[in-house]
Amino acid sequence: MAQLTATPLSALVDEPVHIQVTGLTPFQVVCLQASLKDEKGNLFESQAFYKANEVGEVDLERDASVGGDYVGVHPMGLLWSLKPEKLLTRLAKRDVMNTPFQVQVKVCEPYFPIKNVVPHAPKDSLTLERWYVAPGVTRIQVKEGRLRGALFLPPGEGRFPGLIDLFGSTGGLIEFRASLLASHGFAALALAYWGYDDLPPLLEKVDLEYFEEAVEFLLRHPKVLGPGVGVISVCKGAEVGLSMAVNLKNITATVLINGPNFAIGNLHVYRGQTSLPTPTNIEFTSSNALGFAEFYRTYEQTGDVDSRYCFPIEKAEGHFLFVVGEDDKALNSKAHALQATSQLTRNGKKNWTVLSYPGAGHLIEPPYSPLCCASRIPFVSPNIHWGGEVIPHAAAQEHSWKEIQSFLKKHLILDVTSQL
Amino acid sequence: MFQLIVTPSTALADEPVTIRVTGLPPSQIVTLKATLKDEKENLFQSRAFYKASEAGEVDLEWASALGGDYIGVHPMGLFWSLKPKTAFRRLIKKDVMNSPFYITLDLYDSVSLNDSATIQPKASQMVQRWFSGPGVQRKQIREGRVRGVLFLPPGDGPFPGIIDLFGRIGGVVEFRASLLASRGFVVLALAYFAYEDLPNKLLEVDLEYFEDAANFLLAHPKVQRPGIGVISVSKGAEIGLAMACYLKQVVATVCINGSSVVLDLPLRYKDLVVTPIRLGLERTQVHVSGAARFRYLTDDLWNKLNPQSMLPVEKAQGWILFIVGENDECLDSRGYAERAMQQLQSHGRSRGRMLAYPGAGHLIEPPYSPFCLASWNPGVERPFLWGGDPADHAAAQDHSWGEIQKFFRQHLIPTRSKL
Repeated sequence: MAQLTATPLSALVDEPVHIQVTGLTPFQVVCLQASLKDEKGNLFESQAFYKANEVGEVDLERDASVGGDYVGVHPMGLLWSLKPEKLLTRLAKRDVMNTPFQVQVKVCEPYFPIKNVVPHAPKDSLTLERWYVAPGVTRIQVKEGRLRGALFLPPGEGRFPGLIDLFGSTGGLIEFRASLLASHGFAALALAYWGYDDLPPLLEKVDLEYFEEAVEFLLRHPKVLGPGVGVISVCKGAEVGLSMAVNLKNITATVLINGPNFAIGNLHVYRGQTSLPTPTNIEFTSSNALGFAEFYRTYEQTGDVDSRYCFPIEKAEGHFLFVVGEDDKALNSKAHALQATSQLTRNGKKNWTVLSYPGAGHLIEPPYSPLCCASRIPFVSPNIHWGGEVIPHAAAQEHSWKEIQSFLKKHLILDVTSQL
Repeated sequence: MFQLIVTPSTALADEPVTIRVTGLPPSQIVTLKATLKDEKENLFQSRAFYKASEAGEVDLEWASALGGDYIGVHPMGLFWSLKPKTAFRRLIKKDVMNSPFYITLDLYDSVSLNDSATIQPKASQMVQRWFSGPGVQRKQIREGRVRGVLFLPPGDGPFPGIIDLFGRIGGVVEFRASLLASRGFVVLALAYFAYEDLPNKLLEVDLEYFEDAANFLLAHPKVQRPGIGVISVSKGAEIGLAMACYLKQVVATVCINGSSVVLDLPLRYKDLVVTPIRLGLERTQVHVSGAARFRYLTDDLWNKLNPQSMLPVEKAQGWILFIVGENDECLDSRGYAERAMQQLQSHGRSRGRMLAYPGAGHLIEPPYSPFCLASWNPGVERPFLWGGDPADHAAAQDHSWGEIQKFFRQHLIPTRSKL
């Protein structure tokens, strides 16, 4: 009798799961499949083919997949290789507090996807629960002054290092990364800045005083450790994050994931000073073989090469961690990180690290998130190619997540003994 | 006033077109867009962005596309980069005699990334792309067991005869045969399953059926004797290679991205039955687009190969031209062709040649056929990944078409071979 086991069945979404099959015949070839329906009913699926050993067992921590959505030894491959049934659909959890993602895992006979052929019933199946919050994490809706967002606090007494979490071009409020970081001991503020509640429906300008309010809000909070806060930001959010680090006080550590080091599309204003958006050559937009738009070349004659447009990053007081997907097709992330860090070096500053991942795309997310290589963005493009190859992108997510947390903890939690 | 000049406005689909724009403001950025609707109303589109010269001109012979569906100098880029609006649809002309593909070329005086209901093009031209030339005849063939479509050039002939074989798409695919007939060959687009009263599914390859077809062709009054050619792709190329090995009627064979071993289905010829190599379906990989990648189905093939399943190319009496797309994601085409070439050489046979194209994928078709990364195959729930890089693939189609015709003329027309 074939038996499928997974440990743990219920876990945080960034925790690994050990999947095994027993009770097969020696060297039997089986297909392991995973499927998930998101909150809108979109189906995501993955599969891998394994050959059992001489005692009829498959252990994903030991065995190599011979085919399917990934090949090789990848214990979490079934999760990060999930693909949408409809192209351009992105997996993003909306309700992070009350429900997990449920992933059905099945072991079955391999079958060729021939139309009108009904596959045999699976030999065994189970359901994994993948949560975006650890038990005890609290969520507080934030509506103070102009600020709109959600603050996630770890359980327990005491103060926690504070973070502002910024996403990019989709607008709205995206909470899943902040809720996970709170599950790992950070007071994380998922901050919206357009397309949410009574915020502007479209981003007109980046008003740094709004983000300054957010920093002050966090530092005032009784559960936030000072004296500074961190920022974790991706894409457009990273453009804002860098601008914050340059202009505002008390930003101790900034994580910039695949962002530009100059203003794109919007004016940045702070107390009367403005940074103009960098001119762009939209005619340098390319299309991949499936017709999805790639924007990464559009600044190659302006922001990518002309330092006049670059943010004066040398003025920032805190530390920087650049996370770069070298296969990013939306932004020329590697060039931007290089340009920014060269500017720091020229100014004698050593307050930076670059993590550069070959084969990783634009959307570097917490570990085991499925690679989304293309999706649609309302008001921007009916399709955008984000880039990334499945296996290296998954490795980048796993590696960078650990590095990001240690970077933030290192700079936000002052080592008390060093002050003695 | 701008002018969009596209010539010739009517041509065979394998002929190039010149596209020029004049009368623009100096250095103006423009968009050139191509649109086609196939016979099922599926929309295909392409676009590229150009910067006009100081003299206000864009001539695709020398102008470099800055972005869009291709970058750089590609005079026919708008044609080979046409993409289906609905992913994974493949462009195939069904009626090759009575109607062309109509392609509309539009000029916009700005960067037009997406279609807009409100912004109209500044100029438009339509071109006709035909799959048969004037005087080419088409005849439905039902002779004995043989089923297919015969294309005849105008005139008395005799003309070199060719059998045209496609792969597991089944039925009859006519567009390549009709184009070759327009270039002076008698071509039989031969069906072998899923057509008329032929079996619905391909369960084995019965070489005697193909021999019947070869004999039928050779017996035709307009066909040059003593031997015929075969042009074949994919599964068809495995069959074409088998024909080259076993049938003396076949003197020139073009195998495009096929296997040199008997795969998946048994091969039968008179008393001979060749056991096929099994396809390890558990080695199917899924590409990031969701398309199935079959290249590695026979990954451990060469280690445990039964020599009897290899096609005995050393027995071929005629000439063989292997056309290989090195980025073929459906089959390890280069591996198979190299093995066959080695086998020829080790038997002292010198009548094989391989043309390997870096960056080309599985579906190497006549020039300017739109690059197709992946498409649906009948009866399968996932699209098939064909592979290839668009610009490299287009160059391979361009180059190989000329080589294929030269190859057939050289080996099928008797007077030429004496030179």
